[in-house]
Amino acid sequence: MNERPVRDFDFHGAALDTIFDTYKELRENCPVGWSDHYGGFWFLAKNEDIFNAEQDWATFSVAPSMLLPAFGTDEPMIPIDIDPPVHSAYRKLLLPLFTPRAVDDLTPFVEQTARDLADEVGKSDIADIGLGYARPLPSIIFCTLVGYPQEDWYLFDEWVDRIIYGRDVNPAESEKAGNEVREYLWALVEKRRQEPPKDDITGRLITAVIDGRPITDEEILNYAYLLFVAGLDTTAWAIRSSLWYLARNPEDQERLRRDPELISSAVEEFLRTLSPVQAMARTATKDVEVGGCPIKQGDRVVLAFGSGNRDEEAYANPDEIVIDREQNRHFAFGVGIHRCLGSNLGRREVIVAVRELLDRLPPFEAVNLDEPWHGVGPLTVRFKREA
Amino acid sequence: MRVEVDSSKCQGHNRCMIFAPDVFEVDDYGFATVRADGEIPPEQIEAVKHAVVNCPELAIIVRED
Repeated sequence: MNERPVRDFDFHGAALDTIFDTYKELRENCPVGWSDHYGGFWFLAKNEDIFNAEQDWATFSVAPSMLLPAFGTDEPMIPIDIDPPVHSAYRKLLLPLFTPRAVDDLTPFVEQTARDLADEVGKSDIADIGLGYARPLPSIIFCTLVGYPQEDWYLFDEWVDRIIYGRDVNPAESEKAGNEVREYLWALVEKRRQEPPKDDITGRLITAVIDGRPITDEEILNYAYLLFVAGLDTTAWAIRSSLWYLARNPEDQERLRRDPELISSAVEEFLRTLSPVQAMARTATKDVEVGGCPIKQGDRVVLAFGSGNRDEEAYANPDEIVIDREQNRHFAFGVGIHRCLGSNLGRREVIVAVRELLDRLPPFEAVNLDEPWHGVGPLTVRFKREA
Repeated sequence: MRVEVDSSKCQGHNRCMIFAPDVFEVDDYGFATVRADGEIPPEQIEAVKHAVVNCPELAIIVRED
């Protein structure tokens, strides 16, 4: 077969409103196809095809970027836009900060931050737990981990909105915001170089040795930038989409209140079905055939994780959210060598966020049913207090 | 029944640690290995099976002796 089945497939902005229906249609009728959006790309919609492409990093390169469209910069973000062999040295720099033990050490601070924020949003009967809870929690944790000044966290949301959520409609604005962030990060690096050493992410970056040579200024900036755009809104989205679901499904909310042990598997299920990362891009390094389609060297290839996560061939009742699902391999953090570096911290933050909110505040329900499942926008709920 | 982790496949998701922390451990970079000699105690068999089906990389191998 030598054809290119074309679909009007987009995975950003308003397209997310109905994307689960789109995925289903693609998996049934066009599991590998071509879309003309963003300069044109192939998409893979089946779980198995996505898994195989993620493992085959030699054929599916992350250069020039895993992001489509770009995240406000043409510079390769480190390590996600870097192929082996140097990729592994970059990752090893920070992996020790995200092991289960490191995440355990950080957890009391995550819990205390979640409690403080929960108490604050719980003061009124109607509250926006998107803006007041889901969004600040990861930003505050991240400030501490990276070494950003604590009082700066509120600046970050606006940058993230322009870089990530505006890029499909306004790339110029996204790039402008990207430059502002790079300037901010660089000023921080310069400042830290004058200060006594500290063992946080920035401290490790500025003293790093890559394959026996000191890290360059450009590498520090491209790594710091990646952490900024990868670590803030993804976790906020995952917390918000978990709470979005619970605000609309009182029985499952009640079940988690009765049995908090289930929160961990429930969060895994929210990550599978409502994940912040619906797709990531690759570039074919040679001609390759997937599902009978002729992908040419240099073609962009979008791995539709969100579709793979709802593939009928991989899960029973894939579109159903089953909070105690026992078999749950999914692509929320990707697989293969580019697995999300912060996945263990991300998971922990979402679990703590759900647990603390349920523990401290009364049952809540959605007020505005138009608020979408996706994104990091408002999530308006009413707390049902006992009379 | 024995279990091993294929270190060429493990990417450090640490899911096995969630399901069977008495069977698996991780190194300083978060990559998993099997504790002791890999023989699965009978009371851990269920837990290991959960780890197998939840490993995102299909990196856990169980062999019947």
